[in-house]
Amino acid sequence: MLTTFKLRDFRCFAALETEFASGTNVIVGPNAQGKTSLLEAACVLLRLQSPRSGSLAPLVRIDAAGFVVDGFYSGNHLQFYFSPRRKKLALDSVEQRTAAEYLKIGRVVWFSNGDIALVRGAAEERRRYLDFVAAQLDPGYRRNLRNYETALRSRNRLLKMPHPRWREIAAFDEPLLDSGMALTQARRVLIAALEPHAMESQLAIGGAVGETLGLQYQPGCGEDFAANLEASRKEDLRLRQTRVGPHRDELILKLNGLGSELASEGQQRTLALALRLAQTRLIAAQTGTLPLLLLDDIFGELDPARRNALLAHLPKGAQQIITTTHLDWAQTEIERVFRLENRTLTGIR
Amino acid sequence: MKRVEYPAPLKQLVAQLKRMPGIGPRSAERIALWMVSARNARPGEIAAAIASMSETVRPCPQCGFFTTEPLCEICADEARESELLCVVEEATDILPLERTGAFRGRYHALGGRISPLDHVGPDDLRIDALVERVRKEHPTEVILALGSDVEGEATANYLAGLLREFPVKLTRIAQGLPAGGGLEHADELTLSRALSGRVKV
Ligand SMILES: Nc1ncnc2c1ncn2[C@@H]1O[C@H](COP(=O)(O)OP(=O)(O)O)[C@@H](O)[C@H]1O
Ligand SMILES: [Mg+2]
Ligand SMILES: [Zn+2]
Repeated sequence: MLTTFKLRDFRCFAALETEFASGTNVIVGPNAQGKTSLLEAACVLLRLQSPRSGSLAPLVRIDAAGFVVDGFYSGNHLQFYFSPRRKKLALDSVEQRTAAEYLKIGRVVWFSNGDIALVRGAAEERRRYLDFVAAQLDPGYRRNLRNYETALRSRNRLLKMPHPRWREIAAFDEPLLDSGMALTQARRVLIAALEPHAMESQLAIGGAVGETLGLQYQPGCGEDFAANLEASRKEDLRLRQTRVGPHRDELILKLNGLGSELASEGQQRTLALALRLAQTRLIAAQTGTLPLLLLDDIFGELDPARRNALLAHLPKGAQQIITTTHLDWAQTEIERVFRLENRTLTGIR
Repeated sequence: MKRVEYPAPLKQLVAQLKRMPGIGPRSAERIALWMVSARNARPGEIAAAIASMSETVRPCPQCGFFTTEPLCEICADEARESELLCVVEEATDILPLERTGAFRGRYHALGGRISPLDHVGPDDLRIDALVERVRKEHPTEVILALGSDVEGEATANYLAGLLREFPVKLTRIAQGLPAGGGLEHADELTLSRALSGRVKV
């Protein structure tokens, strides 16, 4: 549970300090006050990454050198300083050389009003979803992902040179294959583990009785990454980019056996929520602890039935921080309500 | 009213100090003021040490380590086993390996690693010189002691490809070096284990 929470020079905030309650916390405020940024900061505190930005540099307040997020989660003191030139993290006031111990402290599920992109958007959206879950369940995943991205970008940079040299390009094949095969395996296992949770969640929050939801993994490296990489050399050289590998992975969503692009908008919204709930349940099942639930402005576009179904199916006892522009939807118990205006957060009940 | 500042030579010193690694504007100013005002500062001795160092210390033309002589202490040492050649990324990786006492051969520092994202290619490194040494010195074993990150691995693969045509055993130090690569931060025990547990490429 996140209790004391402070930030400095994060997005639009010069400084802010607050105390969250267990259970449901709601932050109410007009647009552009920094509600999303506040949730983002909580996510960065626990996971050292942002759900909406690949790099952390844009999170530094304009004109500031770096940001600080600082808070207590389940009694552990987490502190993270970031500037584009330097990063520093401390767990219980002890500076950490690696993020391994730090990242064991808390986990996060991020629900956002843009989540329908998980269903309608490009494959990249679903890969990012998988990465965000996997990194929280498998401590080695982040390193594999980072290594894969480095190897891939290096290889592509070499392919784009005026006179590509194969010996140099091939030198990156081994790290590409090693990290790529580890990613493929991890995503395959993750998708299989998510599927039953997604299925149950879909039914729970408004899927019709008898409706089936399938999650299928389509690996971008084919059956045999090494063989396919070898076979695509000529094409890679012609198109000047690496054409096989997990950067081409797809997570296929099937509703009643049909591609989710054919589903109605309502079904798609339910599906996106089901994917987030599945993530929540899987993290709870695999780690034995409930993740912090960050719900960013999602109630405006949900009809009351879905809204209540969702609230009813969030795991009991999970701490939630919910942002919203209006409180009129709220029927459930709320422990604490804050108002965010003029960059200050005030507890109003 | 004109703002009062430090005299120009002092400002120049601060500007020079700031260029050094790990020294920001505040530390640079603190060091410069210490040189001006501390009784035991003796800035002349510091200046003399810097001048003497930059005049006499060069990279060893053979291995890349630091020396004031035509060859460095390691290359000049006849008692060293010339059958073993250990390839490292940076000259600064050599001393940590030396301190383990587990290695009695010679070294070759590449001056970096292949890193397309930093625009560093094989031609920017002392790779031709390495191949020349293998041709001339006939080592029986070349040990690749490069970082365990993607660029370190790729550099090792590249060298392995180049050296395959020579009658030399190619090995890599065992895994276990800190992720993110580089030998600089590894402790002696880890390094010594990595050296003795080397594996064939
Ligand atoms: N790095 C930054 N520095 C300063 N302001 C920022 C930065 N990033 C975003 N903002 C501003 O923060 C404000 C709050 O954004 P947001 O958190 O999305 O508000 P809300 O969710 O309440 O609508 C926006 O006006 C945005 O322009
Ligand atoms: Mg918002
Ligand atoms: Zn030498």
